[in-house]
Amino acid sequence: MTTVLSHYLDNVRENLRLDVSSEREVIHELETHIEEELQELKEAGLSEEEAASTCLSLLGSAKLVARQIYEAHSQGTWSQALLAAMPHLLFGLLFALNWWRGIGWLLGMLVLVLSMAVYGWWRGKPAWLFPWLGYSLLPVAVAGLLLLYLPEGLAWVAILLYIPMALWLLYSITVQTIKRDWLYSSLMLFPLPIIIGWFLAVEPVDKFSEYWLQRVQDFAPWIGLSFLALAVTVATFVRLRKRWLKVSVLVVSGLITLTMIAYYTGGRLSIPAFLILIVVMLLLLLSPALVERTLKHTGQKSVA
Amino acid sequence: MAHRREGIKGSIDSLLLCLIGQQPMYGYQIIKELKERSQGYFQFKEGTLYPALHRLERVGLIRGKWQTLPSGQQRKYYHITDKGLLSLVDKRSQWQDFLAAMNLIIQPVSE
Repeated sequence: MTTVLSHYLDNVRENLRLDVSSEREVIHELETHIEEELQELKEAGLSEEEAASTCLSLLGSAKLVARQIYEAHSQGTWSQALLAAMPHLLFGLLFALNWWRGIGWLLGMLVLVLSMAVYGWWRGKPAWLFPWLGYSLLPVAVAGLLLLYLPEGLAWVAILLYIPMALWLLYSITVQTIKRDWLYSSLMLFPLPIIIGWFLAVEPVDKFSEYWLQRVQDFAPWIGLSFLALAVTVATFVRLRKRWLKVSVLVVSGLITLTMIAYYTGGRLSIPAFLILIVVMLLLLLSPALVERTLKHTGQKSVA
Repeated sequence: MAHRREGIKGSIDSLLLCLIGQQPMYGYQIIKELKERSQGYFQFKEGTLYPALHRLERVGLIRGKWQTLPSGQQRKYYHITDKGLLSLVDKRSQWQDFLAAMNLIIQPVSE
């Protein structure tokens, strides 16, 4: 196959944003098509260059072809939508049914989340993986927060060692996810501002006291409800075809859920904190698109 | 040309189901077959064909199967499914009703 057609297929591949096996199949199908068409054009008397140029004009824009094929594949089934919504549902149930204080339930949830994240990663990163992946990173963040409450000398050692390692892990998983599709990175990070919002609303002042636990208990039904809202959002995300609709549903739902937290906690979440959380949420949801663009440019420069 | 493109866009699913319903076909064959049978009227671009084939496959109306030819070349043949056959019957009947209604209006009134 000529360089120009290989470049065309690379361009399609870059814009397909499908899981590895679907991507491989689509590219192989287009490749067999192009080879057959080239062969026939050459048999009809065209030179290699003429055949390649005719073939290219018949194929149409690589970006458009990739986008249309993406839209044919991007709508997940209802079972995939349910699987993607499941970690949010389970997290919501943990609070709504007051299981969050039971160490057995927490451990069970942790094992399930980690197993699903590893299984999904191993199966070629399907769309349902990313909410599970987001929750699998949660223990890393929670452990970091708990380190702040260690006795003073120990806390600094732990923080100096732990935080860089945790940030490196978060960064490398986010970059790997962005390479698959930046939208999935937004999906993975989606619950983070909501969790931070609840954390600030129940504000542990000095330490995790019984008083703090009681406050979480008071808000538990609302915490459960907010995670139910996230579950509905994620299921809708998986069922939608268009990318702009997928992003919109995350942004709108995030805004509504944060407002809900501010409303139900009766002013415990201050206005500046609420506004900062909205900015953080928009950054988490939209910045992966910029990172993807930067990664592509860096990749292209290194190839050149 | 624009009206022809619109025509193709609106009837692409019916055309594909009809062809694949007659015999399993692969992408390049479908393009050639459509062009030949319509005497050049339907000229599909690959960029139109494959998204449509994948969409029909995702909703279970057709099923793709890779086959290796004796030459070693691979092709993905699309087969119609039972759900696809039912949909084709429905589309044929809709099309015939549409044509009959159009003919009643378009044909010149005889004195």
